Amino acid sequence: MNCLQAEEHFSAHLEDTLDYQTLQGFEEHLAACDACQHEYTRFQESVKAVRQLPQIEPSLHFMSTLQQRLATEQREPSSVKEIAATGWGRVLDVFRRPRWAFSGIIALILAAAGTYFYQEGAFFNQDAHQASVTPTSQRQETVILPEVSVQQSRRLTRDNRQLQRRSVFSTPVQPMQQRYMLKQVSYTTSSTSGGL
Amino acid sequence: MPDLDDELMERYQKGDENAFTLLVRRHQQPLVNFIARFINDRDSAEDLAQETFIRIFKAANRYKSEGAHFKTWMYHIASNLCKNELRNRGRRDRYRVDNVVNSGSDSDGDTEQVDLIASAPANPAFEPEVALERKELQNAIQDAIAELPEQYRLPLVLRDLQGLSYDEISEVLELRSGTTKSRINRARLMLKEKLKPFI
Repeated sequence: MNCLQAEEHFSAHLEDTLDYQTLQGFEEHLAACDACQHEYTRFQESVKAVRQLPQIEPSLHFMSTLQQRLATEQREPSSVKEIAATGWGRVLDVFRRPRWAFSGIIALILAAAGTYFYQEGAFFNQDAHQASVTPTSQRQETVILPEVSVQQSRRLTRDNRQLQRRSVFSTPVQPMQQRYMLKQVSYTTSSTSGGL
Repeated sequence: MPDLDDELMERYQKGDENAFTLLVRRHQQPLVNFIARFINDRDSAEDLAQETFIRIFKAANRYKSEGAHFKTWMYHIASNLCKNELRNRGRRDRYRVDNVVNSGSDSDGDTEQVDLIASAPANPAFEPEVALERKELQNAIQDAIAELPEQYRLPLVLRDLQGLSYDEISEVLELRSGTTKSRINRARLMLKEKLKPFI
């Protein structure tokens, strides 16, 4: 055991917690090393001096001041009933914590972005995809009905085109609304001409 | 068998307000002493000790679930409050504890403290010079403790001034037993060097 190793065991030796083997090595080193003997004596004396520091007492008004402060405080509820009794305040408290508030804001942003892209991007593409996949015969079924004459059908088709242009260029109509309007027009015109 | 503190906490949880008063009476002195020695400020020590009891009061219903002993739980709360206080303060050594103890305190407790310091040993050959020397040594020790880094000062105060066991200190500081022992030994070695002119 060298001096540095011996120093590491000062506290353990002072408190008599060294195992037998380490104790033997420590005491052998101390018996042979005057510097360590001297340092260990000073170590013991300084620990003793610290332990003899007087205790600091609280002031006489400690208890009364504490009781005044406690009177304004409220104990945290322990049961579900107590939590429920405090109402929405408890629920809102969760969002007052920074981490929860941040998560909440992120969730709101994601929800808003999702809604926006669903309406603008994804749904629009879906329409285009449907238009490209749906056979021409099926698409025509919604517009041209069997009992309509050739002239009437031409007029209906022209009206439909005009409506489409108006809806696309004049007012910003959402794809979902646009499709609904087209369907509505085709059904209305066909019903007035006695198709259904 | 639960110790008295646990029993008092249990009674308090069941609505016995006197049990909490008893807990405060049992621990107010050690707590004030611990905080004052750790942050080296007697006035703030009282505030922080009261704040510790308020935290305990408010969180009493969670006590069992945390599974800690009352004493270690109390010191854990107090340690965290002290660390926050020191962090907020920026500079820890504004006042010396003993100076504050002696500076115009009008309470009986303080007077008793001063008398205790002056006449601590039952020494028939009592002399004022000896008392003065002892007082200087105590001031020097307190200053030396205050100069220790926080991570060494805290376990040292808990061990040598509060008398907690190594296991209790490990619980308070949430450290492994080996780390606690090593830090306490290191703190004592540092203190020995700081007290070289006196011891």
